[in-house]
Amino acid sequence: DPNAVAKAFVEHYYSTFDAPRPGQVSLYQDESMLTFEGQKILGSQNIVAKLTSLPFQQRQLQITTVDCQPSGHAGGILVFVSGNLQLAGEQHALKLSQVFLQTPSVLMLNCVFFFCLQNCGIYYQNTTLFKQKY
Amino acid sequence: MALPNQQTVDYPSFKLVIVGDGGTGKTTFVKRHLTGEFEKKYEPTIGVEVHPLDFFTNCGKIRFYCWDTAGQEKFGGLRDGYYIHGQCAIIMFDVTARLTYKNVPTWHRDLCRVCENIPIVLCGNKVDVKNRQVKAKQVTFHRKKNLQYYEISAKSNYNFEKPFLYLARKLAGDTNLHFVESPALAPPEVHIDLAAQQQHEAELAAAASQPLPDEDDDAFE
Repeated sequence: DPNAVAKAFVEHYYSTFDAPRPGQVSLYQDESMLTFEGQKILGSQNIVAKLTSLPFQQRQLQITTVDCQPSGHAGGILVFVSGNLQLAGEQHALKLSQVFLQTPSVLMLNCVFFFCLQNCGIYYQNTTLFKQKY
Repeated sequence: MALPNQQTVDYPSFKLVIVGDGGTGKTTFVKRHLTGEFEKKYEPTIGVEVHPLDFFTNCGKIRFYCWDTAGQEKFGGLRDGYYIHGQCAIIMFDVTARLTYKNVPTWHRDLCRVCENIPIVLCGNKVDVKNRQVKAKQVTFHRKKNLQYYEISAKSNYNFEKPFLYLARKLAGDTNLHFVESPALAPPEVHIDLAAQQQHEAELAAAASQPLPDEDDDAFE
């Protein structure tokens, strides 16, 4: 069952964020690419350096969904994850999405991480400029 | 700029964006204002909490809709949607953490990319802490970019109103505008050594008459 495998993998993947993580390097290869909030990072060393620099240590992650599909002919698996990330010292959780492409030879070939934040859900208030009003 | 589920008012109101590194005290700062804290609204689709802060001026009431993040800045910059339609801004750093001052030019650049020509205040927070890493006279960025700078201490309420007064004057185009009543603030959690702070303010004033360091010296030691 590819879904069960993917779920187990996702749990393992996020658990590597909890501790200092030399183990994470083995998930990536030189051809692995991570897009983190729009920033593209190539290669295992660079990716792990980026992830290590982020405040993932003290956080609670709640996975909401894990979906996966077989991909291509080479036994690849595409995984889509959504969830909530609660950071230490913050009152509100951030919604996140993450996509992985796994192949038999590279566990994390492609990875895209982003926060599900709308660009702007606001409307214009009928603002009178201060100096016009007074 | 209020959120869709937030009450609007019939007096002038402005969207104020607060930026700066995580942990510099942005949330602590806006939470000092009690009625704003009471009426704040969170919008999970934008990842922002909006605090409506009212002030009472000799020209009537003014409201700042203060936009505060849910911590996403700890992962890098903020999305454009956070800045869009911003009418004034506060850039905050922590005087006890050098890196947060070093990052001020990046926040300023990101802000100005979306919000051209809005009044901006630079705030050095946590001046109540004894062990400062960024001395008052080392703060020069505001002079290069024509921003106003204030030393503040959110936990002691020191200079809480100053940034808002500056922005209100700029937005009103009236340098004589003043506050006629203080907003209700949370009681101070710490007390600031006023004599030491006066010394810092004097150093700041003295530094303002010194020539600016070269652009190359921007890398703050």
